[in-house]
Amino acid sequence: MPTITIDGVAHEFEAKQALLQFCLDRGIEVPHFCYHPAMSVPANCRQCLVEVGMTEVDRETRQVKFGEDGKPIVRFLPKLQTSCSQEIADGMVVRTHRTSDLVARAQKDTLELLLINHPLDCPICDQAGHCPLQIQAYKYGPEGSRFEFEKTHKPKRIELGPRVMLDGERCINCTRCVRFTGEVSKSHQLTIIERGVRNYPMTPPGVVFDEPYSMNVIDICPVGALTSVDFRFKARVWEMSKTASITVSNAKGSNCWYWVKDNRVLKVTPRDNEQVNRYWLPDEDRLDYERFNDGRLSGPVVDGRPSSWDAAYAAAAEVLGSVEPASILFLGSAHASVEDNWLLSRLATHLGAPAPVYIPHVDPGHGDGWLRTDDRTPNARGCEALGILPIDADSVRKRLSSGAVKAVYVLEEDPIASGVFSADDLGSAPVIVHAWHTDNRTLAAAKVGLPAAMVVETIGTFVNEDGRAQRVRPAKAIKGVNRTLMMEVGKSRHDLHGTPFDRWYDETNLVDCQPGWVSLPAVAARCGLELSYRGPKDILAEIAGSNEAFRGVSYEAMGESGVRLQETAQTA
Amino acid sequence: MSVSNGSVSKAGDWRSYQRVLLPPVKDLHKLEVYEQHGGYASLRKALTDPAWTPQAVTEEVKKSGLKGRGGAGFPTGLKWTFMPPVNPDVPRFLCCNGDESEPGTFKDRQLMEYNPHLVFEGMILASYAMSVKTSYLYVRGEYADWISHMERELEKLYAKGYVGKNIMGTGFSTDLVIHKGAGAYICGEESSLMESLEGKRAYPRSKPPFPAQRGIWGYPTTINNVETLACVPLILEKGGDWYAKIGAEKHPGPVLYGISGHVNRPGVYEYPTGMLISDLIYEVCGGIRGGKKLKALVPGGSSTPVLRADMIDGVTMDADGLRAAGSMMGTAGMLVLDEDTDMVSFLRRITHFYHHESCGQCTPCREGTGWLENIVTRIDEGEGNLRDLDLLLDLCSQMEGRTVCALADAAAWPVRYTVERFRSEFEARCRPSLVSVPETAALPA
Repeated sequence: MPTITIDGVAHEFEAKQALLQFCLDRGIEVPHFCYHPAMSVPANCRQCLVEVGMTEVDRETRQVKFGEDGKPIVRFLPKLQTSCSQEIADGMVVRTHRTSDLVARAQKDTLELLLINHPLDCPICDQAGHCPLQIQAYKYGPEGSRFEFEKTHKPKRIELGPRVMLDGERCINCTRCVRFTGEVSKSHQLTIIERGVRNYPMTPPGVVFDEPYSMNVIDICPVGALTSVDFRFKARVWEMSKTASITVSNAKGSNCWYWVKDNRVLKVTPRDNEQVNRYWLPDEDRLDYERFNDGRLSGPVVDGRPSSWDAAYAAAAEVLGSVEPASILFLGSAHASVEDNWLLSRLATHLGAPAPVYIPHVDPGHGDGWLRTDDRTPNARGCEALGILPIDADSVRKRLSSGAVKAVYVLEEDPIASGVFSADDLGSAPVIVHAWHTDNRTLAAAKVGLPAAMVVETIGTFVNEDGRAQRVRPAKAIKGVNRTLMMEVGKSRHDLHGTPFDRWYDETNLVDCQPGWVSLPAVAARCGLELSYRGPKDILAEIAGSNEAFRGVSYEAMGESGVRLQETAQTA
Repeated sequence: MSVSNGSVSKAGDWRSYQRVLLPPVKDLHKLEVYEQHGGYASLRKALTDPAWTPQAVTEEVKKSGLKGRGGAGFPTGLKWTFMPPVNPDVPRFLCCNGDESEPGTFKDRQLMEYNPHLVFEGMILASYAMSVKTSYLYVRGEYADWISHMERELEKLYAKGYVGKNIMGTGFSTDLVIHKGAGAYICGEESSLMESLEGKRAYPRSKPPFPAQRGIWGYPTTINNVETLACVPLILEKGGDWYAKIGAEKHPGPVLYGISGHVNRPGVYEYPTGMLISDLIYEVCGGIRGGKKLKALVPGGSSTPVLRADMIDGVTMDADGLRAAGSMMGTAGMLVLDEDTDMVSFLRRITHFYHHESCGQCTPCREGTGWLENIVTRIDEGEGNLRDLDLLLDLCSQMEGRTVCALADAAAWPVRYTVERFRSEFEARCRPSLVSVPETAALPA
């Protein structure tokens, strides 16, 4: 098999690829700025320079030549090569900064040059703490600077568009942002203007950087030049914890990190998943987080008055027991997890009520064939796999007006705001609703309101448009003690920064709500159905055991990047 | 002033040299006049005589030993053979580089003004040799007057059927387009020229792939200098052997010497390669202005290493001669500096140019060129420190050979060689350092 030697260690390879990516894939760190695996390679930052040589081979015998010291003769290229643009080859010998003083010196030199016109305003920069320039300057850079002149001044606080702010002076001209708009989103809304050291990215005249994916340039910017208009100056990196989860603004289920400080979600950034969203996240997914923090229903409500959880559960059970089971309308939710919808189905079955239905939220034309979908819910596919079908709103209204529906049980939905029926249509039929927000219009007409945990507070499974089952993890805590949730918070939060701010539990901003897999069994128990699980993991195991579509799906199988339903059904 | 004591010019009997690139013919830029003096005969010969296949034209250029006149001096015929075999489905391009922007270089402009048809004929012949259907003449935007001048002549050429479809009724077709640059030094770098021609920002491309593999719009492309292509009709007319015998043996042919600076008669002079520098200064240009002494000479455009007066004795203007002397032929745009020249001030102007013209793509050049200018300016203003000189040299090592294109080298060399070769002059302008400067190990380029 072809072999390449890096710092004296031989690595075998099968397919040709770029040397830098080859190193990164094997955990060999090579400092770099402009290289990004999803875009073209301009080799402009000159940070990833390495020494590259080839073992000499006898032209006739094709045998490696050995020197007098018994080692293969290596002929090194006269100039250092950028590893990002260098393709690996059999017999190649590479020296990185670990084994070559020349390379270490070159990397130090490049960092010195990058820093001479960089403002070094890290104390007020959003990027500080996870800034590739800052990290690499500390690791590979010079101790001081020999630059004794005024730095180049460039425009600052430029609003490239409604969501992205540029600080021209911080820019190191890696052109990642320009290449993103040119090669990935293809909006071509950014270019480099000016020349030489005055270079910085800018929109062409008359163009506003407002494409639906504009905020991705903030993540790929290796310095703090591009910042989020929404997030800037809100929190330092080390004050937040990040949790691996998925976004729920649409049916794509893009993988993301939720950044949380004091139990408030402050930022949503993409999490690499080659199968779903690669490195990208649409702006709508990033800005759809305030609803996790504000306007939340905290504490149960019965007949419009605050109530205890016990009393609320009892009131709900009383409603369900007081009417003909066949006259109860169970509304599942494409916003809720597979597990919660399953529990709702089990409750409906137990009572002898018709199977739940869900309210589709489809916005034709919203999707773009990439990471935005027409479907604005995260789990419609999961509902259907459970046998929960889209609602027929007309027939529901008819059944309500004819008195055929005598009670409505709503899981994490707002059927009145969705236009399925109005408060008048309900008449005297009592409603039980698991609600997120106080402005839920169905809640206003409900007899029992049970505050529901949102996707950032629960554990569960969502199935995206492409049939991929993915896990969500609790990024922020809820009020009340739930051992399963707390253990999961402890396991899921990436408190990578090792500072006193790494608190996985914080007393502030706690919402008094419960995940469906806690509140639904509590209601069911009062209706005579014992649903006993240690947590959603067991619920999913039960679903996988009884539903063909979910065969083989488990929390272990989903892991960090999810698993496709059909795949497991076929291989299982 | 002692002139070349007994050293030998490789240019032979240059005093009786008959000009061929810029012959003394009135109104030669006009198509009629050019044709009266044998113009387009080489093209007619190549297109009609079955012996002159495209391969034969390339072979003849190879035989002539013609080396590129744009600065790097790469053998032209060899470059042409790098083009992949003809595939009718894959377009291929020729580009004539007329973006001459190197300070001290102004020889292509003379060709564009006085003998544009020689360039056109050379381009069409090269297109024939490489089976190219479209060739571009990329001219720097500052040459607006020369562009309109050439466009008028090109129109006549199209009207006459010497370019375009079915040239001279022979069935060979090729188009020639004059493209106006927007005024950037970097566009003279071949890969950045291609980007510019494609309408993009002129950032040089990483090589490989080379232009012959992936050039304009990703298709095989050859790029030659204006003066290089102007030699091609002459080679076909008079033969590669004739050409190979002109001037220095290993670097033959006529050359346009663009001589500027402190000489009595600056200008563009056509002579064979291998001229003694002293002959060019004292005979051709009538000596140093005001009878002053020579102090320094930049032989081939501002980026080539400067030579002290005591380094040019017996040095000839050809690749080998200048390499031995410690410099390069470049574009043969000679800057002559007399004894009154302030070398610090001279270097300040040059570093300002490269700072202004760095495209900003690669870190070492983008940041380094400005820093170099800062330091040289400080020294020039009497505020420099002795340690700044070592910092300058160290910065040069940080730039040389570490960028996508050669502009970083072009910017670093004048600094390195001016400081090294005129160090005492720089030291005299600096304040003494209070702390001794540790020896800085120079890195190999």
